[in-house]
Amino acid sequence: MRRLALATRIGWSAAIVPDEQLVADALAGQTEAFSELSSRHRQRVERLCQRFFSDQEMARDLAQEAFLKAFAALATYRAEMPFGAWLRAIVTNVCYDELRRRKRRPEELVGDFSEPELGWMQLVSTATPEELVSEAEQRRESHDLAHRLLDTLKPEDRMVLVLKDSEDLGVAEIAETMGWSEAKVKIRAFRARQMLRKQAQRIMSAGRPRVVQ
Amino acid sequence: MNCFEARQDFRSFWRRELQPERRAAFNQHLSGCLKCDWAFRQFALSAPALHSETEPDRTGTVSRPSVRLQAQRSNRFFRESRSSSQWLSMVAAVVLFVTGASAAYFSVAGQNQTLSDAMHQPDPVVQLVSSDLPPVNSDLGQ
Repeated sequence: MRRLALATRIGWSAAIVPDEQLVADALAGQTEAFSELSSRHRQRVERLCQRFFSDQEMARDLAQEAFLKAFAALATYRAEMPFGAWLRAIVTNVCYDELRRRKRRPEELVGDFSEPELGWMQLVSTATPEELVSEAEQRRESHDLAHRLLDTLKPEDRMVLVLKDSEDLGVAEIAETMGWSEAKVKIRAFRARQMLRKQAQRIMSAGRPRVVQ
Repeated sequence: MNCFEARQDFRSFWRRELQPERRAAFNQHLSGCLKCDWAFRQFALSAPALHSETEPDRTGTVSRPSVRLQAQRSNRFFRESRSSSQWLSMVAAVVLFVTGASAAYFSVAGQNQTLSDAMHQPDPVVQLVSSDLPPVNSDLGQ
């Protein structure tokens, strides 16, 4: 902690104090060390929660819950593993529990799209790839629709998809994070992609502009 | 670029991580390959949740950069007006207003001899009510 205070006082970035040292300081009773840890990782944790839940308030709440759990379990942390990876495992499990608590959307998505969502679907059918990337950044409905699409997946499938595609984790890392076998991760990834393709095809055919004769 | 390479690049393209030449080759391949184009469109449906780094606000077009831009514009207004004569004219207007208000106040207050007199004059409403009331101790004596 003295190191942290010194680093702050002389104007260095607090990032020079490694996470592992901050964990040791927090375990020694210096709560400021854990505050520093949480402020370092908060953005990444909240982003991961948002991959699962589009509601930003909920994502923040889950991030908070994950930090509380991390604080309570800090004594179990072993320095062989990067703190970020250890924290990600906690966040992932918090989100997984929440996904299982929530009722999954029915597979049949077609039929209850909002007007903006329909507009986005038509754009997906007609715009160029460059336009799609730019428009998706501006349009809230693109995110809403994507979350609705992912909501149709089973929690296990969605976990694998997010960890693999968004977090760039390998099969072995996902298996370790979730406590599953690698075979299970591969099967879940395959099913998730298959299901996603199926749903996307439904959406694409629903979003095609109608030909007026 | 072949189909396999193009599909490997979906994510990097969405995240704007491709070099310009590679990006151009990707666009060119998709414009000529119906299967990859279709696959990319399917990918684009879930990509905002899986691959975008930021999400637009619920309100729609208002995003953090816009707010920042507005703040910059507002700061610029104050900086520019300070450098021009706008501040001077604003101060002059305030001085004129204060002078006028003071003149109006003292012209009314001048009807009383002093400000203290004006403050200690009995309230006409109290005078009117108290004149109708009987003397305070009139019932006690009987």
